[in-house]
Amino acid sequence: MLIQFVLVLAVLTIMYVFVRSSHAIYVQASKRIALVLFALANVYAVMRPDDLSVIAHFLGVGRGTDLVLYALVVAFMAGMFSMYQRFRVVDRRYTELARTVAIREAELINKERGLHSAQIVSVATGDGDRTSVGAEDGTR
Amino acid sequence: MPGEIDPEETGVTTVDGRRNEDVWVVIPVFNEAPVLESVVRQVLTVFPNVVCVDDGSGDGSAEAVLRTGAHLVRHPVNLGQGAALQTGLTYARVQPGAQYFVTYDADGQHRIEDAAAMVDLARSGAVDVVLGTRFADHAESVPLIKRLVLRLAVLLSPAGRKLRLTDAHNGLRVLTRPVADHLQITMNGMAHASEIVSYLGRSKWRVREIPVSIRYTEYSRSKGQSLLNGVNILFDLSVRHRGG
Repeated sequence: MLIQFVLVLAVLTIMYVFVRSSHAIYVQASKRIALVLFALANVYAVMRPDDLSVIAHFLGVGRGTDLVLYALVVAFMAGMFSMYQRFRVVDRRYTELARTVAIREAELINKERGLHSAQIVSVATGDGDRTSVGAEDGTR
Repeated sequence: MPGEIDPEETGVTTVDGRRNEDVWVVIPVFNEAPVLESVVRQVLTVFPNVVCVDDGSGDGSAEAVLRTGAHLVRHPVNLGQGAALQTGLTYARVQPGAQYFVTYDADGQHRIEDAAAMVDLARSGAVDVVLGTRFADHAESVPLIKRLVLRLAVLLSPAGRKLRLTDAHNGLRVLTRPVADHLQITMNGMAHASEIVSYLGRSKWRVREIPVSIRYTEYSRSKGQSLLNGVNILFDLSVRHRGG
């Protein structure tokens, strides 16, 4: 059936976009466009359920509601992945913050303990753009 | 258990009489209080500069470090072993004269003699990175199931194959200064080991593995990561490049 092809393709596309690296702005814009299109499609489906059934039949799905359900599953997956990525970004910032606090505090503690800790000039805080190991040499 | 490691018995001194002052040992710590103090004291007999990164332990691990001469960095919250390693490296690499960086597990599974030998190799200038491997000579000391999984981890990693590594997940490593400056571990959890290998695979650094032995004590076994965690690691790694 055509629907199987469409759904599998949709899932694979999501996986691919999710795993491969690309420009953040492009991805962000695509996500928003997809969200708006999905919302519009839903409005249309509610307004004209018969059209939906026609499309569903064309794709080889029994009823229009089933088609909506399938689309929902795919959209849910995309949403989950997107949330996961967002969470990773937040996590990285949070780590950087905690690391800075920890090292600053450690300077004081270790100085008090009489360990000749050196003058720590700069803690690697300004490198928020080093997004992954070895990112600077452009080999990722 | 803590009495098992006797700092006196190792008797390792550096070859050239220098007291390894250009070496910093980074020990990530999470709830290792029962053995930590003796492990740190033993490391200090060979390497004078040790930084322990307490990753939010709640069992007095930090106090154990304070009783020794090691530097202590405390994460305000638990962030994961990868994050702790990176914090330790970040702290160590701004210390004056730091040239070699050793990563060392807190549970006492490594032998300090192995670390010293690895530093000597790095010092010779022949390589930039030295990794410990459990599989060269002493494979039989590793539990069978663990051996299979670790082997699989190497086979699944393109970088591991490229570098001809036999053990991608050994906690004992020696990095020279340029490598430590360049490395930025972003995998906070256990995936950092694979992350480091994959970084090395993509870089130009000369990497060598040398055999080390691991003490699989009851303690280290109980602390060892679950093999199921491999699933988490694979998932984390597969999405590493995304999410800006």
